[in-house]
Amino acid sequence: MINILTGIDSTSSALNAERIRMDVVSQNIANVNTTRGLNGKPYQRQQVVFEAALKDQLKAGGPPGSSATVVNVARIESANRAPRMIYQPGHADADKNGMVAMPNINIHEEMVDLMSSSRAYEANLNVVKTARSMALQTLSIGKR
Amino acid sequence: MIEGLFNQTNYVAAKKMLDVTAMRQEAIASNLAHLETPNYKRLDVAPNFSSELQQAVASKDAGRIKSVSPQLAIDATAIASRKDGNSVQLESELLKLNQNFMEHQLEAQLVTGTMLKLRLAITGKG
Repeated sequence: MINILTGIDSTSSALNAERIRMDVVSQNIANVNTTRGLNGKPYQRQQVVFEAALKDQLKAGGPPGSSATVVNVARIESANRAPRMIYQPGHADADKNGMVAMPNINIHEEMVDLMSSSRAYEANLNVVKTARSMALQTLSIGKR
Repeated sequence: MIEGLFNQTNYVAAKKMLDVTAMRQEAIASNLAHLETPNYKRLDVAPNFSSELQQAVASKDAGRIKSVSPQLAIDATAIASRKDGNSVQLESELLKLNQNFMEHQLEAQLVTGTMLKLRLAITGKG
């Protein structure tokens, strides 16, 4: 297939990756008070890890950094911070001192993550828009 | 015979510059895609390209201009100011995106202008 929009592989992979990141952030925010997850323990904060990958193996022979790369979500890992302990006797999951282990999620941190993710998404949409205008310009070469 | 019409140095150079803007667009797309990838280093067209093209244009040899081949390379001047070792900066990258777009527009107009002048010379009407 001919590639009319230059750099569309990188951009689409980034849009995809940022979307996954936003999904993970919203999952974290939704579970900010989940004291009993699937394993019976408090929910743990999930975070995505991005990595660069060559978009086609043909170019893998060139010197490093000589071709554009795509973004992959390498893995989604749990943060191993200690849980937030709050005093709430009478809660079903409280220990003998009345302390409940809450998920290790900081809602402010999640909001900042969400914002930077949506900014990155926006920037990538801008790239597509520019690539489209450039393609239209190229197609109109020779016309008045 | 017809090759002579399309071998003027300015026309060939404009075409080469168009290739480079397309290549730089790819680099900027990759850079903005990797805004959050740890240890990513920003790409750009290799810096020796512009001096090579200048020399080739100065020599007025269309074949030499055609043989200049731009390549993408890691931008050694970009400093990783963030803790994750990533050297992409959103604002400067967006500015470069716009600048590159304007350059592309200029070069497309140069190529179009050459062709229209040629058509005027052939047909006698604009």
